[in-house]
Amino acid sequence: MIKLFIRYLNLIVITIFTLIFLSFLLPFMFPGDLLSNISGIVPQTNEQRLALEHAYKLDQSIFHQFGFYIESLLNGNWGVSLADQATLYNEVRIAFPATLELVCYALVVSIVIGIPVGFMSGLKNHNPIDFSVVTFSMVGYSFPVFWLALIFITIFCLQLEWLPISGRVDLLFDIPVDTGFLIIDIARSSIENKHQAYMDALQHSILPTASVAIVTTALFVRFTRRSIMDVMNKDYIVAAKSRGFTQSQIFFKHGLKNALLPILPILALQISTLITNVMIIETIFSWPGIGRWLIQAIYQQDYPAIRIGMLVVSLFVMSMTITIEFITRAIDPARERAESAAL
Amino acid sequence: MQRFNLYQEEYHPSPLVNIWLEFRRSHIALSGFVLLVLFLIITVFAPLLAPYSPELQNTNAILLPPSWEPNGTIAHLLGTDGLGRDVFSRLLYACRTTFGSSLVIVAISVFIGVGVGALAGVLSGLRSSIVNHLFDSIMSIPTLLIAIVMVAILGTGLFNAMMAITLALIPQFVHQTRTYVRNELQKDYVLLDRLDGASSRRIFIFSILPGMVELIVVQATIALSVAIIDISALGFLSLGAQEPTIELGASLSLALDVAYVAPWLIILPGMCIFLMILSINVVGEGLRSALRNRLHH
Repeated sequence: MIKLFIRYLNLIVITIFTLIFLSFLLPFMFPGDLLSNISGIVPQTNEQRLALEHAYKLDQSIFHQFGFYIESLLNGNWGVSLADQATLYNEVRIAFPATLELVCYALVVSIVIGIPVGFMSGLKNHNPIDFSVVTFSMVGYSFPVFWLALIFITIFCLQLEWLPISGRVDLLFDIPVDTGFLIIDIARSSIENKHQAYMDALQHSILPTASVAIVTTALFVRFTRRSIMDVMNKDYIVAAKSRGFTQSQIFFKHGLKNALLPILPILALQISTLITNVMIIETIFSWPGIGRWLIQAIYQQDYPAIRIGMLVVSLFVMSMTITIEFITRAIDPARERAESAAL
Repeated sequence: MQRFNLYQEEYHPSPLVNIWLEFRRSHIALSGFVLLVLFLIITVFAPLLAPYSPELQNTNAILLPPSWEPNGTIAHLLGTDGLGRDVFSRLLYACRTTFGSSLVIVAISVFIGVGVGALAGVLSGLRSSIVNHLFDSIMSIPTLLIAIVMVAILGTGLFNAMMAITLALIPQFVHQTRTYVRNELQKDYVLLDRLDGASSRRIFIFSILPGMVELIVVQATIALSVAIIDISALGFLSLGAQEPTIELGASLSLALDVAYVAPWLIILPGMCIFLMILSINVVGEGLRSALRNRLHH
């Protein structure tokens, strides 16, 4: 157990180091002036250039530069945006929780719907219910998310006018950004009509969540169904059956846990897909998250922002993946390594 | 081995025929296959099938609705877009770009992925651990992120988007090949080859690879649907294919400007992407269950 922990800690440290090193190399590969790519400031005079070069240790060896980069990352001194001179640390601190919020909504919806439905159809396999669930999940995970979002907007916002098109909450609610998570921010703010603010935030989040969650739910349904079908064909289930246990006893005692085990590592693999989808959805619904922020940065060729944004998102995805893999290994020692299971 | 034989002629279907027989039994999989072949035909013969040139602007007929609407004409089957270009022809060309480039992406990533995976499977010790962990890490970076970085370095364009997606797809083939090769290397037939004096390369190409083809094909169908989604998503975000290139995601984002007056311009390209992915997924699923059932018989 401790050995396993150390191995994964080692892996996580090496990965983080590799990612930081890659992001350190990025400004050298970006087009344009190296100094402005790193600092986010376009020097106006020669003295200013020299001063900046000195401040960012560009006049010293590459090892000093790397050391300085890690140091400033740890200090929260992430530089400024090339486009509007905004402090990147603050920008990311506001944008990233918004993305996490959407990811959480989508994950909760897909787990709450996907896993029970998957069990239901897997246990009753090859009957009409199972067949329709399989069909729906096949159709569901073939949807390109951006198209689904556009269709939702056309139907619910433009035709029926039920739901708002863009943003996280109506601008009329003046909610100060504190943690970045809207639910907590509303609770901590001092506005009078909190109830209405919650309702408004809910209305804003329905469509983005639905667009992301349909695809993820469909995937979860498929994984769960496959997994429970495999488990129910195992010998120990037959043995339990022959001893006269009822179907529900068998399912809750043996089937459920064993079927849930292989789902966890798949969840880890799905995080990166989920983040990609969320980032695309953010741009469509103008959700002020990191995906929209990064894509804006691309349009404006804001290289310091791209570097930091890329580092933050990949660090998050990587550490989540490795953590989930570690948990899987820890609770299921029989597993040699988390392999990607078939769809 | 002498066996009891009821029939006059002895006929053992080859594994490939076996899969086809099993695959054919599912009507849904078969219809998906037909759809996939249709897209393949469009990809190859789009210039012959398209009634108009995709660039031809007919300024007398701007934003014409599809022919089944009251004021549509049969001259433009699916209507025209904001510049009076024939939507049907553009759709054919767009399918060609999206599907064709995805096929190329998958082919390249299979080639590289299997090669590196074989190497990683044969290697052992520190070197293998480095190769493996590196790829496991890269595998979890979201595609869009890799694409954003590539676009920042190289600029937008279909080719750069294709490179980014290829980079993102390779690790899963490496992973799969490595696991498979690792497992097979333990088996007796490989030991036999080794005793015969075969080199590692020879063992991989002649003994292990033939058994792996099915696995890779199934994995490639998944990768193909991912590639199509990604390439159209990048086109949609205008990070991928740029204006003169006609691509499904890009035409979807072009259609956003006229979404109020011409909703069918949003529906049609999206429908194409959806059908493409659906057909690939259905075929992939059919193949998987055919393989599973064939092993059961």
